[in-house]
Amino acid sequence: MNDKIETKDQGTGMGQGHVLDLKLPIGWLLSAYGVLLTVYGLVTKKEMYAISLGLNLNLVWGILMLVVGGGFLLAAFLKKGKAGG
Amino acid sequence: MDPVITLNAVDYAIIGGYILVMILVGYSLKKYMKTGEDFFLSGRSLPGWITGLAFLSANLGALEVIGMVANSAKYGIATVHFYWVGAIPAMVFLGIFMMPFYYGSRVRTVPEYLKLRYNEATRGLNAISFAIMTVLMSGISLYAMALLFKLMLGWSLTGSILFAAAVVLLYVFWGGLSSSIYNEVIQFFLIWLGLLPIVFLGLKEVGGFAGFVAKLKEPLLHSAKYLGTSNNPLGVDWFGVVMGLGFVLSFGYWTTDFLVVQRALASKNINSARMTPIIASFPKMLVPIIVVIPGLVALLVLPEFSQSALPSTEYNSALILLMKHYLPNGLLGLAITALLASFMSGMAGNVTAFNTIWTYDIYGSYIKKGKPDAHYLKMGKYATVFGVAISVGTAYIVQSFPNLMDYMQLIFSFFNAPLFATFLLGMFWKGATGWGGFFGLLVGIFVAAGHYLLYKLGVVHYASDMAANFYQAWWAWLADFVVTIGVSLFTAKRDPKELAGLVFGLTPKPKAAARWLARPAVWGTLAIVIAIVLNIIFW
Repeated sequence: MNDKIETKDQGTGMGQGHVLDLKLPIGWLLSAYGVLLTVYGLVTKKEMYAISLGLNLNLVWGILMLVVGGGFLLAAFLKKGKAGG
Repeated sequence: MDPVITLNAVDYAIIGGYILVMILVGYSLKKYMKTGEDFFLSGRSLPGWITGLAFLSANLGALEVIGMVANSAKYGIATVHFYWVGAIPAMVFLGIFMMPFYYGSRVRTVPEYLKLRYNEATRGLNAISFAIMTVLMSGISLYAMALLFKLMLGWSLTGSILFAAAVVLLYVFWGGLSSSIYNEVIQFFLIWLGLLPIVFLGLKEVGGFAGFVAKLKEPLLHSAKYLGTSNNPLGVDWFGVVMGLGFVLSFGYWTTDFLVVQRALASKNINSARMTPIIASFPKMLVPIIVVIPGLVALLVLPEFSQSALPSTEYNSALILLMKHYLPNGLLGLAITALLASFMSGMAGNVTAFNTIWTYDIYGSYIKKGKPDAHYLKMGKYATVFGVAISVGTAYIVQSFPNLMDYMQLIFSFFNAPLFATFLLGMFWKGATGWGGFFGLLVGIFVAAGHYLLYKLGVVHYASDMAANFYQAWWAWLADFVVTIGVSLFTAKRDPKELAGLVFGLTPKPKAAARWLARPAVWGTLAIVIAIVLNIIFW
């Protein structure tokens, strides 16, 4: 997990700041959920989705979560790049 | 009894992924916990968006979500009062007017503010009652979680209680308040992603809002139109809603409950602290989307809800039945994870509030004063362990005596109702004295208890229990307010110098952020305007 941590001294004088960049764990978790649901949506049969009004909601929601999770990861990497430069 | 819902391996993988991430986040925070302030207040280092989302999630517990879906099935659109009247104004008020005193005075807890502003007795009364309530509440929700998972999924009661307690213990022990706050932020996203599919499918099946209008009874479709008298689904008139819920209960909870205020105190600077509740107010306004719509959908699509009058406990199953009705495996796991996350983060929130109050306001004030910081940090970790242990014990006791749950919640309401008067006078009237604050609070608590007795004995009457609850809060508040002023007039005034930073008029105004886009007043005003517009649309 060490690569996911970003420390920052906020200079508040109130002890060391500890900002773990929360965008990373959120991004990884949601992306992993996205992959899992998308793949599950692709391999499951249509009959399973009778209850969700015929929509393959695992597929749809999986893709959506990939987009949201990817967005968090992208934001985190952009921030890291900025801080590094 | 067979469980309502059957999960498969994909669902369990989703649940497991969440638990794994929580433990890893807790572990990775471990190395930052060097001082008491790190453990109890996240080193006062977090940005506003994180504390803001945590501020909201701390209140978006699973019981809250399930209960509000139930309320929406029962009362219809009027449930929005719990958000647009009963939360937004108080959150904005906290951010704009009260946070300068909380954060600006550098107090570490809410009772500590009472000690500085009033006296030791007032702090003691608040700290001890809060610590007891918090740790018992944590046990109550632990039991509620285990019971829900037993009925819904067939999980063992003991297994759920011990497993959830162990995970929460682990990550709070490692990461303190930061762990708790980070879990709340993750929970915020999971709740929305887990419940929105129900909203979409529900709206699709009933034909959108037009479907509600065509098929539901008229009083269920309006928030305020029928509040002229108490003859409406809520059974409460406008005075009860506005003064009881909107003013006393809401302000009492959002502005004085350490569980939520602690999140703002963890912010990195005063502007972020003030923005915390204001940032939270925007998603708070939208929560009715995931609770009110499912509640109304339940009335139309669930065969169980088609009868006209249901026993009120049945409404609590609305959300679970909707999950079963709409969600395929996969998404089902996601929705269960969202509920599990909100239970666990609720418990973590209670445990972190408890260990902070215990260590600073009870142990550090009455048992061992003046020890080095490392001593209190260690005590905070011990407090986490025995806080969790007491919660587990409470969960087991409640399991054998389910009625205890109602009694406990009742007693807690006596303590909470008057508190806002004490804070309002403390922060905005420099004439309030130490003993004025103490006796005001004490009398307020007794008035709440006395009112409850009179209501139960049939001396006073209300159209509904909810109305009795709202009016009880109002009378307790009024008693506290009047007694605090009365006693203050006859007791020794505090030296104004001692009150600098604690009271309006004796505190330099916080400098407004340079950019107007970063100013709490700008965003607070916007939140109020949107809340008013929403109220008018759904009037």
